[in-house]
Amino acid sequence: MTSGVDALVEHLFRHSAGQIVARLARRLGAARLDLAEEAVQDALVRALSIWPYSGVPAEPRGWLFQVARNRAIDLLRREASLRGKLRELESAAAEALPEQSTALGDDELAMMFMCCHPALPPPARVALTLKTVGGFSVDEVAAAFLAEPETIAQRLVRAKRQIREQAIAIEIPPEAERGERLTSVLDVLYLLFNEGYSAHGGENLTRADLCGESIRLTEILAGNPASDLPEVHALLALMLLQASRLPARVDESGDLLLLGEQDRRAWDQTLIGRGLGHLERAASGDRITAYHVEAAIAATHAAAPDEASTDWDAIVRLYDDLLALKPSPVVELNRAIALAMAKGPAAGIAAIERVESDPALSRYYLLPAALGRLWREAGDVERAARYYEEALARPCSEPERRFLERQLTRCRRTATA
Amino acid sequence: MAKYLALLRGPGVPSTLSPQDMQRVIQKYMSWSDDLRKAGRVLNAEKLRFGEGRVLRGNSGKMAVTDGPYIESKEIVGGFWLIEAGSYDEMLKILSTHPHLEGPGSIEVREIEDTSRRS
Repeated sequence: MTSGVDALVEHLFRHSAGQIVARLARRLGAARLDLAEEAVQDALVRALSIWPYSGVPAEPRGWLFQVARNRAIDLLRREASLRGKLRELESAAAEALPEQSTALGDDELAMMFMCCHPALPPPARVALTLKTVGGFSVDEVAAAFLAEPETIAQRLVRAKRQIREQAIAIEIPPEAERGERLTSVLDVLYLLFNEGYSAHGGENLTRADLCGESIRLTEILAGNPASDLPEVHALLALMLLQASRLPARVDESGDLLLLGEQDRRAWDQTLIGRGLGHLERAASGDRITAYHVEAAIAATHAAAPDEASTDWDAIVRLYDDLLALKPSPVVELNRAIALAMAKGPAAGIAAIERVESDPALSRYYLLPAALGRLWREAGDVERAARYYEEALARPCSEPERRFLERQLTRCRRTATA
Repeated sequence: MAKYLALLRGPGVPSTLSPQDMQRVIQKYMSWSDDLRKAGRVLNAEKLRFGEGRVLRGNSGKMAVTDGPYIESKEIVGGFWLIEAGSYDEMLKILSTHPHLEGPGSIEVREIEDTSRRS
């Protein structure tokens, strides 16, 4: 091995690339120019990755050609196995696609397991599933993560590359791996549901179709012997109990209603019943997950005839449990709001102030919105108005924006009265 | 002279660069290491494979093996240099011009314990 600065003649990469592409493509046929280019690019990337450490090999052109040729062979082998798949697909085209089918569910389940493969970094799993299985736009994924769209786009590109490079299969994993694999599938479904429930940045506050879709996928998990586990039922219970409130969350004009303003007669009792049923089945294990606790919080709301008679002390305790299982500034914020309901606005404001400067909440409109509400209740409408203004400066959906503006107007009117 | 291990952390090389840009990057690394190599100060330098690995955990006697480590790509150790230098100060001077630091990556440098030293 040589290693000197001068080992690389000027434009060696550019020229070698052209040369090697031409040589490979000539043997493969012009139709395979793309394959030749891909093989050469891969060889150059490999050199870029290794040579800084090893030094430049004595015969860099020969090295690049060898690596590119071997890569082309790999690519052709992969194609050969894809041609086998093509025949499978052609014979499958003759079959009719049933409207309702557990076999179809198996396909989606296997696809989700692929997207949530442990070889992918956790944020990429969620982003990929939301994008490919969930059909999310990059911006929607970013909003669900409280992240920048560029970050998400890059994450997706890397994830897809990793799937190709590591030949991650579309399959329901064997039992030994399934527990870990299932955990990340559940995390993804949970996020999918939350995206539908709060619909960041969307024109409509609730996208019941998205909630319905995540419930459907979780039901496939719960109904499949491969994944019929307590935490799956806990998540399903949580989703159903939350979804039961969807019809009451907005008024006739599509505006957001707070829990206390909702007509609880509009809560879907069928969904509540199904949710409580799954919560019972979730209790069969010896493990308490965050989904269990969140489902219990939702069940406590569902059991109360109105906001005032809700057992807020119990909800605060459940949030304490939740924080122990899943510490997060968003959970801290929710606990603070419950605490305000139990002990008055001052206690809630003090609790929010502890998480106010958390960077994860810097674009989260609910933080200033909660402070606005609590300061108004505490009688300081001017301060409340300032917090509602701040909330309006952060990303939110159209109905959320109208809600915030309504609150702001109310504060200003009281202030000038 | 003491031995120092420099661990380079950061995401893998971008695969979208043009051949010309790739060559430029390699040349930067070559310029950085040229004098060190000529002086025989580079004892070893290796690239670690991205995208695979195993982690073994003791688990109080019940050893578990998982794929990994799958952490944020900026934390992944991509490779290492084993270099001879007189002191940490000299090592820092050597590494301060390392091209790796032009990207988002970091370098952790540790002196290797000299087991022959008695004091």
